[in-house]
Amino acid sequence: MRISLGWLKKYVAINVSPEELAHSLTMCGLEVESIEYLGAKYNHFVVGKVIDVQKHPKADRLTVCQVDIGAEKVQIVCGAPNVAAGQTVPVGLIDAVVPRDQHDPNGNPLKISKVSLRGVESNGMICSEYELGLGDDKEGILVLEASAPIGVPLADQLGVNDIIFEIGVTPNRPDALSHIGIAREVAAIQNIKLMLPAIDVQTNDTSISDLVKVIIEDVENCPRYSGRLISGVKIGKSPLWLERILESVGIRPINNIVDVTNYVLMECGQPLHAFDFDKVSNGTIIVKSGIDDFNFTTLDHKERKLRPDTLMICDDKKPIAIAGVMGGENTEITQSTTRVFIESAYFLPRSIRRTAKYFGLSTDASQRFERGADPEITLWALNKAADMIISIAGGTVLGNSIDVYPNKIKEKEIVIRISKVNELLGITISKKEIIDLLTKISFKLSNKESTKSNPDLLSLLVPSFRPDIEREIDVIEEIARMHGYDNIPVHEITKLRLSENNPPKDFLPIIRDCFIGAGLQEIVTNSMQPISIATLASDNVVKIANPISRDMEALRTSLLPSMLEVIRENIFKGNSSLRLFEIGKTYYHHHSIIGEYLPQYSEKTQLLIAFTGNQNPLRWDEKPRNIDFFDVKGEIESFFQKIFLDNIKFIHYPNTNALSERGVHIEINKEYAGMVGYVRKEILKQFDIENEVIFAEIDIEKIINKIKIKRHYTTLPKYPSMIRDIALVIEPNITMDKIEEAIKASGTSLLKHIELFDTYSGKQIGDSKKSYAFRLEFYSEDHTLTQNEIDGVMNNIINELEHKLKAIIRR
Amino acid sequence: MIKKIEQINQSATAEINSVKTLDELEAFRIKYLARNGLVGDLFDALKTLDKSDRPLMGKYLNDLRNNAQSLFDKKKEEIESNTTIRQETDDLTLPGRRRWIGSRHPLTQTLDEIKRIFYKMGFEVADGPEIEDDYHNFEALNFPPDHPARDMQDTFFITDKILLRTHTSPVQIRVMEKQKPPVRVIIPGRVYRNEAISARSYCLFHQVEGLYVDEGVTFSELKGTLVTFAKQFYGSSLKFRFRPSYFPFTEPSAEMDITCFLCNGKGCRVCKQTGWLEILGCGMVDPNVYKYVGYDEEKISGYAFGMGIERIAMLMYGIDDIRILYQNDIRFLKQF
Ligand SMILES: [Zn+2]
Repeated sequence: MRISLGWLKKYVAINVSPEELAHSLTMCGLEVESIEYLGAKYNHFVVGKVIDVQKHPKADRLTVCQVDIGAEKVQIVCGAPNVAAGQTVPVGLIDAVVPRDQHDPNGNPLKISKVSLRGVESNGMICSEYELGLGDDKEGILVLEASAPIGVPLADQLGVNDIIFEIGVTPNRPDALSHIGIAREVAAIQNIKLMLPAIDVQTNDTSISDLVKVIIEDVENCPRYSGRLISGVKIGKSPLWLERILESVGIRPINNIVDVTNYVLMECGQPLHAFDFDKVSNGTIIVKSGIDDFNFTTLDHKERKLRPDTLMICDDKKPIAIAGVMGGENTEITQSTTRVFIESAYFLPRSIRRTAKYFGLSTDASQRFERGADPEITLWALNKAADMIISIAGGTVLGNSIDVYPNKIKEKEIVIRISKVNELLGITISKKEIIDLLTKISFKLSNKESTKSNPDLLSLLVPSFRPDIEREIDVIEEIARMHGYDNIPVHEITKLRLSENNPPKDFLPIIRDCFIGAGLQEIVTNSMQPISIATLASDNVVKIANPISRDMEALRTSLLPSMLEVIRENIFKGNSSLRLFEIGKTYYHHHSIIGEYLPQYSEKTQLLIAFTGNQNPLRWDEKPRNIDFFDVKGEIESFFQKIFLDNIKFIHYPNTNALSERGVHIEINKEYAGMVGYVRKEILKQFDIENEVIFAEIDIEKIINKIKIKRHYTTLPKYPSMIRDIALVIEPNITMDKIEEAIKASGTSLLKHIELFDTYSGKQIGDSKKSYAFRLEFYSEDHTLTQNEIDGVMNNIINELEHKLKAIIRR
Repeated sequence: MIKKIEQINQSATAEINSVKTLDELEAFRIKYLARNGLVGDLFDALKTLDKSDRPLMGKYLNDLRNNAQSLFDKKKEEIESNTTIRQETDDLTLPGRRRWIGSRHPLTQTLDEIKRIFYKMGFEVADGPEIEDDYHNFEALNFPPDHPARDMQDTFFITDKILLRTHTSPVQIRVMEKQKPPVRVIIPGRVYRNEAISARSYCLFHQVEGLYVDEGVTFSELKGTLVTFAKQFYGSSLKFRFRPSYFPFTEPSAEMDITCFLCNGKGCRVCKQTGWLEILGCGMVDPNVYKYVGYDEEKISGYAFGMGIERIAMLMYGIDDIRILYQNDIRFLKQF
């Protein structure tokens, strides 16, 4: 909300600098987000008088002017055809920034410096209306009133040195959405009186009730409806001061009637609406809802379909305005309007909110009504508007005003406990101090009978412009605000009573550290993506009903697509060797009820690692090698080892899924927990990646509850271990896991460790076969093994391998 | 015999240099080292020698075999590690063999630091879903339906009643539904806002929420906790201020500002010339919230606070465009 300092000063004496005022407003909850010095753009501009004009010796279209700027005279070369001696003109001096450069096609600002124009020195610029940003006239310089004092700052002369505060008003403070509202706070802060202008409307002898009849059918949604009728007005442009003040607070001037209603809105916060009374059938105004299936054209020339719950202002034939939101085209003020009916009503916030949402319309009026206007201000606002209209647009105000207010809204009465105020805020404040603070912001003491005997209680009446204050806690906040948050002590000692819940251990940092230690870089990506991408990994896609764009219409079902995007972008920027990981959520929509929090939705925390490019950084003594499947699988195996997770199985599935090919599933206790694989060629192509990408994904929840948190010490072996190597030649379809299984099954309890240390395939063993060599470690917990014992076990193993796997043992 | 040993030794040493592949190496092994290879044959011949010559010849033969074996082993390692010839060098200023270096994403680093400080103050971590219902995201947090406060947070909807959480605050409700006071938790997580993407705002970001509910918790304590946090995080010399604000689920509500550490409070572009940086929102839990979770508002009180991790990271690291945090350009990430 834009608040003019000049305007504020009409209601409250301000005895501090604009910056100090901004600070104190901020500290009482009305945050001043910025201060705009309107005059600042006319720094180094003054009023000057042209004393002498001579032709430029070398340029026909230029003149050399001597200009009196008060303290001195300056020489300015001017190109304007209308410049003449004796004129009072706006002069931009050296260092002034001309708001719009006339010779720049985009009208960008131009800084004035000392120049020589074809041999003649020029020390400034005489400006046009366009250049000063005051209008569109580029034809010649702006000539000011002859009486303008020479040498004064131009901003003063133009009356544009106001200061505008941009205030972020929170939704609970509709009372602060006006100049009087802000002035009221300033008066409270400075502890001085608010001065409200007295209004004395001159009326004629005809009573409004002879011509206008107002009926409220929906009293619940429209508790109060007031109005005045003004006849004989002449519609036209508003005076300059009114247009300028409205523009400075961000409102576009329209015509003198509408401008007045907007001025009153910005002054006191009460939205008004002006109807062309001659278009209101039979002078009848009916406030009602329940109109269905009707297309109504609003002032913005849009046709809007009404709903039965839309509160409408109607005449005896037709709807004429959407109550509290926007007027109708059918009763709009036009050039030919002569009789104006001004509406000043109080509508129920919920009703206006619903309507504004339904139409997707947020207007200055609806914003105030839906937050809660002041029901007691309708007549004041009406009189102010009427008074202004007759002085600006002429005409006369009819006698009396309409004021339909069947059930006066009661003042709210709240009882607070002084002890509660002190307990909750952690301060010591007396009842008297509290009364002082609250009366400054218009609270009144109600001295409710039941509170008289208890000194801890205080009963208060809430001012009508504070719809947000309904409970004791709301009053406590007001006390805290007026006491000053900064005056509440900082209590740094807090008792440490921990909950008896034992929170689960946070494993994510451990997982993260493990991969960072292995040289992987963590990434964080967007969880929204196109539907076509999200469906690659799952059909159970969560779709967003109101996405920002088609590119972010679904939630991800896998971390891989956004990872591939990151890989592509990095390769594109010249980094093609990448080792990345992300820990993030994936999201699913189910048709059955399975979610942990919401019936049909579930989220999984996943880990994704992906490698592409070289296995190692470039080294001077080593040929670069591309990463391969076993690099990625090795990281995953090391990770499992690091977190002491066993019972892991890697199961080879030839055709894994839509995103990957050639990979293995990771199973823990026969349950799927993730996979390692190559990204499909087609997918890589879709993502414009030429290099191979190998990835692994792990469902974090599947592993976390299997991590053994409690470690238990196992006695170290007392007897030496023995190592035996064994190499076997096998058919290519026999996989490592089968061999390992066979060795384990036959190795007895003495076999403690199996490690593959060599593989070979080639001519020496026959083209179709392969050879694996293992190192086996044996020891016993209770004695030193003899060669014979191990030979026995080795024979067992060899037997098993020869019979079960048809292996040939190489010796 | 000695002559033969010498010859074989020389030819093996010469031949190994021409070996390039594993197949050739296997041929080398069979020629020299296999049971009936050249060396093996000599061992067989050992038996025919005079008994007194055998120990010495045996030693020579062992040396030969060891030498051939070591030539073989060395070559094998060389071929397998796919290295070019690993040269001996005297230039010790050559770079060492480095590994890739990874790091936590700057958002994780920021969050970890925040967590570390709150852990010290006795806070635990709680978690909740990103896909939420209207009840937890708004209603139970005292945002009534048809209330303008809902406009403060532009929401992505999945259905009428299901949405992407706009803040981590719904987890407050979920924690209090499950647990009786004392509750002292922080809730880090991802949240979503349906706002146009620009240098200053992204469609999602991360928050850390805090909640402490117990007997006799005061606003003064809230200030104490947050000032302690801010001093730990931003440095003990910082100046701060609390100013009134509005959140439906806290009352009184406040925003905490610290002096802009980029301009030392003089005013700059980042602090919009105010000299202050807003770092978090906070307040005393509104009694209406206790009604939703079945706490007795007369017996307990509490405070809540929340801060945006992106905003803090951007301030800390001088990042002027939020989008770069989600682009994951490795040249950017390597700076952290
Ligand atoms: Zn600054």
